[in-house]
Amino acid sequence: MMAALRSSFSSIRMQPWTHLGLLRSAFCSSSSSSFGQKGFLDLEEVEKILSDVKADDVRVIPVGDQCEWTDYMVVATGRSAWHVRNIAQALIYKVKQKQKGQERMLLPSIEGHQGGNWIVIDSGRVIVHALEEKARSYYNLESLWTSEASTRVPNQILEYVKGKVQPYKGGNIEIWRKPLSSIVGKTTRKNVSLLNN
Amino acid sequence: MIQPQTLLNVADNSGARKLMCIRIIGTGNPRYAHIGDVIVAVIKEAVPNMPLERSEVIRAVIVRTCKELKRNNGIIIRYDDNAAVVIDQEGNPKGTRVFGAIPRELRQFNFTKIVSLAPEVL
Repeated sequence: MMAALRSSFSSIRMQPWTHLGLLRSAFCSSSSSSFGQKGFLDLEEVEKILSDVKADDVRVIPVGDQCEWTDYMVVATGRSAWHVRNIAQALIYKVKQKQKGQERMLLPSIEGHQGGNWIVIDSGRVIVHALEEKARSYYNLESLWTSEASTRVPNQILEYVKGKVQPYKGGNIEIWRKPLSSIVGKTTRKNVSLLNN
Repeated sequence: MIQPQTLLNVADNSGARKLMCIRIIGTGNPRYAHIGDVIVAVIKEAVPNMPLERSEVIRAVIVRTCKELKRNNGIIIRYDDNAAVVIDQEGNPKGTRVFGAIPRELRQFNFTKIVSLAPEVL
């Protein structure tokens, strides 16, 4: 019964999101409709703008295989809060230019514009993180989303659960990365410790 | 359904372990908070030698609730615990990693930062 449940669950996950995955589903069909193309930023455009505004240390991380809610993460560093805000503004300006003359503009969501430590421009398929140097080293997004994550993240998780959830010691943290459908029914603590052995 | 006096788990590595909700932020004096709402909370239990301490007042975003979350396509999501992520006034998370499964609704409530730190997005 569990297997049937699991398969039905995964089949549900495979379906395109009608309401909630609005951004994504709009993007899947973006090649045919000009609406989707104009409202969002392409990877090349993002890279060009970031080099134009002199953002340091730009890294593009393809995350399509690790998570299903976006395809690319772009991480860029700004020299100051002012510079970080300018990076965000340049990206928004570009989207507005692309949609000039349209009745309704579709703009990506911006987060953290007031602070300027970490601004996220969520453009559906591409998510741009503009961070100040300190914030970038603090959050360490690259290590989370690249494969070397497995060396760093587990330590933090272990620290967090130390003394509370013992079986995780031994550090098989693979389950954190796997899609849920593959671990449903396996996540009892006994099984995790078995996996570790 | 989180209301004042509710105890919540912490789903990040900020150093807090247990929170108690003391106020829900929003217009119209909301009675309950749901996923994606910001609350004011007190730290009831904290990990030693971390920047956050017991009895500190902080803001947090609710990321998991026992009360089921309904989607338009018929999916219902219900978690085992009530959990929140500690944020500051600007919405930046205090911790650097988020643990456990996070619903994708948070992205629409403009908490993309939390979503991008999470290991699993439902």
